[in-house]
Parts: sequence; C-alpha cells; structure tokens
Amino acid sequence: MELDWGVVARAWDLLIDGTWVTLQLFAWSLLLGTVLGLVLALMRLSKYRVLRWVSLGYVWLFRGIPVLVALFFAFFVFGRQVGLSALQAGVLGLGTSAAAYKAEIIRAGIMSVDPGQFEAAECLAMTRRRYMRRIIIPQGIRVMVPTYMSNTILVLKVSSVAVAIGIVELTGITRQLSNSTNRPIELFTAAALIYLFLTTVLIVLQEFLERRFALKT
Amino acid sequence: MSSDALVTVSGLHKSFGDVEVLRGIDFEVRRGEVVAIIGPSGSGKTTMLRCVNLLERPSAGRIEVDGQVLCEQQADGSMSFSGKAEIRAIREHVGMVFQKFNLFPHFTAVENVIEAPMAVRGMSRQDANARAFELLESVGLAHKADSYPLQLSGGQQQRVAIARALAMDPGLMLFDEVTSSVDPELAGEILLVMKRLAQDGMTMLVVTHEMGFAAEVADRVLFIDHGVIVEEGPAKEVLGDPKRQRTRSFLRAVLERAPMVEDGMDDDGQ
Amino acid sequence: MDWDVVVESFPLIWKGASKTVSLFAWSLAAGTVLGLAVALMKLSSAKPLSWFATLFSWLFRGVPLLILLFYAFFALPEVGWLLSPFWAAVLGLSLWTAAYQAEAIRSGIIAVDHGQTEGSDALGMTRSHTMRRIIIPQSIRIMVPPFTSNATTLLKQTSLATLVTVPEMTLLTQRIFSNNFKFIEPIFVLAMIYLAMTTVLIIGQQIVERAFRLKT
Repeated sequence: MELDWGVVARAWDLLIDGTWVTLQLFAWSLLLGTVLGLVLALMRLSKYRVLRWVSLGYVWLFRGIPVLVALFFAFFVFGRQVGLSALQAGVLGLGTSAAAYKAEIIRAGIMSVDPGQFEAAECLAMTRRRYMRRIIIPQGIRVMVPTYMSNTILVLKVSSVAVAIGIVELTGITRQLSNSTNRPIELFTAAALIYLFLTTVLIVLQEFLERRFALKT
Repeated sequence: MSSDALVTVSGLHKSFGDVEVLRGIDFEVRRGEVVAIIGPSGSGKTTMLRCVNLLERPSAGRIEVDGQVLCEQQADGSMSFSGKAEIRAIREHVGMVFQKFNLFPHFTAVENVIEAPMAVRGMSRQDANARAFELLESVGLAHKADSYPLQLSGGQQQRVAIARALAMDPGLMLFDEVTSSVDPELAGEILLVMKRLAQDGMTMLVVTHEMGFAAEVADRVLFIDHGVIVEEGPAKEVLGDPKRQRTRSFLRAVLERAPMVEDGMDDDGQ
Repeated sequence: MDWDVVVESFPLIWKGASKTVSLFAWSLAAGTVLGLAVALMKLSSAKPLSWFATLFSWLFRGVPLLILLFYAFFALPEVGWLLSPFWAAVLGLSLWTAAYQAEAIRSGIIAVDHGQTEGSDALGMTRSHTMRRIIIPQSIRIMVPPFTSNATTLLKQTSLATLVTVPEMTLLTQRIFSNNFKFIEPIFVLAMIYLAMTTVLIIGQQIVERAFRLKT
C-alpha cells in the first residue's frame, strides 16, 4: 500500500474551499443557536406557563431527534416551501438543533447565580431588566463558559452532517475528492487534521475565556 | 398608630406551605428609633424583617412603610399587594443589608456602591463616584475602593454592603443578622459602623444575635419565639430584667458568649 | 400533511428500526468496553498508557463522527480490511462513543472519595478488592447520568450510518421520499420514532438513577 501525500497538496485549494463552507455553516448556526437558545432559556424562566411549556417542548423535540432529521425537515420540507438554498437550510437545521442545547446551558448558567444577587438588586430598587443585564447575566456567563464552549466545539463537528443535504463543506469535498482520486486514506486524514486544528483553536479560545471571566480573588 | 411611625405592622402571618412561621405579629418602628429583633433560630425573625420590604409576601396582615401601604387584607380575606412600581419606589428609601453580604462579585467596591444611584436615580457617574467615595470613607474603606469582593475580608465586604445600601439615602435600614457570617473578631468593625449610623439618627430594624450591641445601641428590643412577639420594650428592660420566663432562658443561653462593641479601630477596622 | 401517507410510511420505516437498534446496541457495548479500558489507562500510573489514553480521547473527540465513519468505510478497504457497511459503521460509532464514555467512566471513578481508598488500605484490603467492592458501586451511581446521556446521543448518531449505506431507519426514509417526492410525511414518522426511542432512554435513565440511589 503506497501513500501519495502529494494528492493532498494538489487538492489543497479545494479542501480550503470546503473548510470555508464549514466555517460559514459553523458561524451562522452558532449565531442562530445562541440567540434562539437565549430566547428559549428566558422563556423557560418566565412566569407565564405557556412560554415555559413551549420552551420545554422545543428542547424535548430537538434533543430527541437526530440533527440529520432536523436537517431533512429544514431542507426538504421547510426549505422547499419557502425557497431556501441548501446552505440556508443547513444553517436553519443546524442552528435550531443547537438552540435546544444552548437553551439548557444558558438556563443552567442563569439559575446558578445566587438568589441573593437577585434580592440585593431588588432591594436597591433596580428594575428587572436592568439587573438581569448588569448583574445576573454577566455572572451567568461566567458559569456557562465551559459548557457553552464545549457545545460550540460540537457545533463545529456536527456541521459535517450537512453533507447529507448536498452541501459541499469539508467532509463533502473530501468524499468527492476521495472518490475521484481513489486516495481515501490521505484525503480523510487531511480532513481529520484540519478538523483537529479547528477544534484545538476553539479549545484554546475556551481556556482564554475561562480565565478572562474568572472572578478576581 | 403614632404619627411618627415609619413602619407599622399589624396582624402579620406568614406560612411556607403547611408551616406557619409568623403567627400574628404587631409592631411599630418610629422615626429615628433603633429596634433590635432577637430570638432563637427558626423563630421567624428573619422572615418578619423580610416582610417589611416585601422580599417575603405575607399570608395575612397589614404593612405600612412611610405612609405607603405595602399590603393589606381585603374584606373577603384575600391579600392585596402594592404593584411592582410602587414596591420599587418604597425600596428606594429602605436599605437592606444581608447576612451573606450579596455584593456583586464582578464589580469593585466602588462599582457596587454607584450601581443603584446611577441606575435608579439617574445620577451621573461623576456624582455617584464622589458620593461613593464619601460613603466608603465613612465605613473606613476608601483605600479599598478598587478592590473586588473576593479580595476583601468578610468584615470589609459587609461594610461595603452597608455603604451600598446607604448610597440610596434611605430613611430606613434593615439589617438581617449581618455579623453572623463573619469571623467573630471582624464583627466589631461592622457593629461600630452600625452604631455610628444609629447615632446619626438612622431608623434601623436590626435582627441580631449580638446582645451587647442590642443593649448599647437599640432603643427597643423585640423578642420573638415560634412566630410571635413574646416580649417587647426598652432595651435595658428586655435585656437586663426580662419579664417573661422564655426571654430569660433564651438570654441565659446566649449571653455567655456576647461580644462587646469595639470602641476604637484604625482606618481599616482591623 | 397527508395522514394516509403517514400511515403507509410507518411500517416501511419501522423495518429499519431493528437495524438502528442493532447498530446502537453493538456500538454501545463495544464502546463501553473500550471506554472502560481507556478510562483505566488514563488513571494508570504508567506514563505510556495514560498518554495513549489522552491521545485517544483527543483524536476521537476532535474529529467529527462522520469522518470516522467515512474512514472505516472508504479508507480501511485500502489496507485490506473490508468491512460490510454495517460493521464499518459499528467500528466508527464504537470508537467515537468510547472516547466520550471514557470521560464519563473516569469522572465516576475519580469522584468517589479518596478517603474510601485510604480507609480500605488501612483495613488491609488489596487494591483490586477495594476497586471491586467499594469504589465501583459508588462510581456507577455518579456515572449513570453522563453515560446514559452519551448513549442517547449514540442512538441518534446511528442515523449517520445512512451515509455509509446501512439500511437503518433514516436510509429507508430517504428511499421513500426520493421515490414518491412526499417529504413531510415520512420525515415526520422518522422524527416521531426517534423521539419515542430517546424518550424511552430518558425514562430508563431516571429509573436506573432511582434504583442506584436506593441501593447505596
């Protein structure tokens, strides 16, 4: 068995194109997942029962089905009705799935804040909006950083599933290249290394953020 | 009801589920008075204090603070409470200091003190900072203005908490066992700040275990046990020569270890 | 949504359920055994073993599952290891889940009070005896939540086997809608079946947690 690593060099531009699509999927679905997750978390903590139940139902649904199924819904059902491109449907499917997990992470973060903080802010006559923004959420963020970041790393890797709806991101382009050059070992190893590089960057970012948000003692 | 009563509580009942913690409390706090509330743990004294600014919602009774009715019982027996905006308006003038300090850990001492005046009163940062430094100076912590809570001792944190409450210029201060979470040798610096506050004429409602403080600073003492006021009266009387047996046995158990208020301290309160 | 199509699709998709469960069961079993081995290696005092374990975790958690599946399916035949799609998928899924289960198992073992080990040492028990009778039962209780959470994720991830042509539920669903172009009904059925399966696992987890709480 002869390995020809030169095939990676020759395919490098295409691999980078694929990586770029992966990063786009990652960034947009992360944004959607975080914003929607924040909304769901606040709904879950709301005093209105309807909002709590809708949020609970959403999380149960999107954590109960595989991401692939959510992508199918986004692409074949919703996307076809509304006229979404594959990439847009991909972001929708990945983002709505991610939101269910982000919602739980954010909620856990907010709930981890000492009730005494709420009481102190209330006794200082601050409005709820003000103290959520200035006092509670910043402290919640600090608690959330580890789980938020490890879930974010997952979002990056899960972007590979978008290949199932025809999006040519890194995994997709690697499969195509592997089939046309018949050099799966070299090419998939290269793809694996690119993913490892990206996830390692995120791990470093996570450690930086954990230090940045730590309380000063 | 006396015309200079700042706080009037009548018929206060509070249950948590099946457990009735307050079983009919009536008392008044007059302007400029310092009232100490003492009693064994589980007696309901903290709950009673927390009802005064509606941190707890009474199950029954009427509470009036500075002319504003916070809650009262309707003819049909249900309770009505002031709306959110009204409660906030009252809390602007009622400061509270907690057993666990509850300082905002991601803010420095001075940032803790300026937050509410800026957010609620719309004070400019400059004015708020100036006032905050004055207050931190008055509690002996001007030199720690830029320190974070976790960099401060318990005694220092609590003094910052007092400064933070005072920043809103309240007419009434509530103290909930503010020395209980602090090492005994640091309690003195907190009590000294409170003593000075009392001497300056602040109306104070103080839940405490510090009998020495109560004897020296309080005008009146309320002894609470099992959700009712067992005895109340001038501090010297209730603490020196109580009429009720329950008061006597409680005081006997506690007084063996009552620390006295420190009279002198350096700038840092150490 | 046409409910007749829903009813028609169900048995066709359900046929794939046994494959799904089969993928899940094999991967869970192999992954747990492998994960246990990796966890013990990570905790061992022999440097090479713990380094290998760290490498294993980093590698199989840093790379997407789909890459592992494609590796097993496309790359292994190149070195002469020709696996059927099913076993290629099981291989990929097992390695992937092993890395996560190793963490869950390890956290269970280290969370148990160190004093337990010392107490047993003082009583003259051997290390393996200590492990077996004292530490492992308590560790299991701590491990149950992350372990079953990983298992639930594994169940959902078996859907990726469709991309290496294993005829589990997702592939059968794709066959249906690529034939008759009715998308919403079969996808709905697929989602409902997965939802039912994951809900069963969640309930199972709560039962197991309750059982272990009473036992100790």
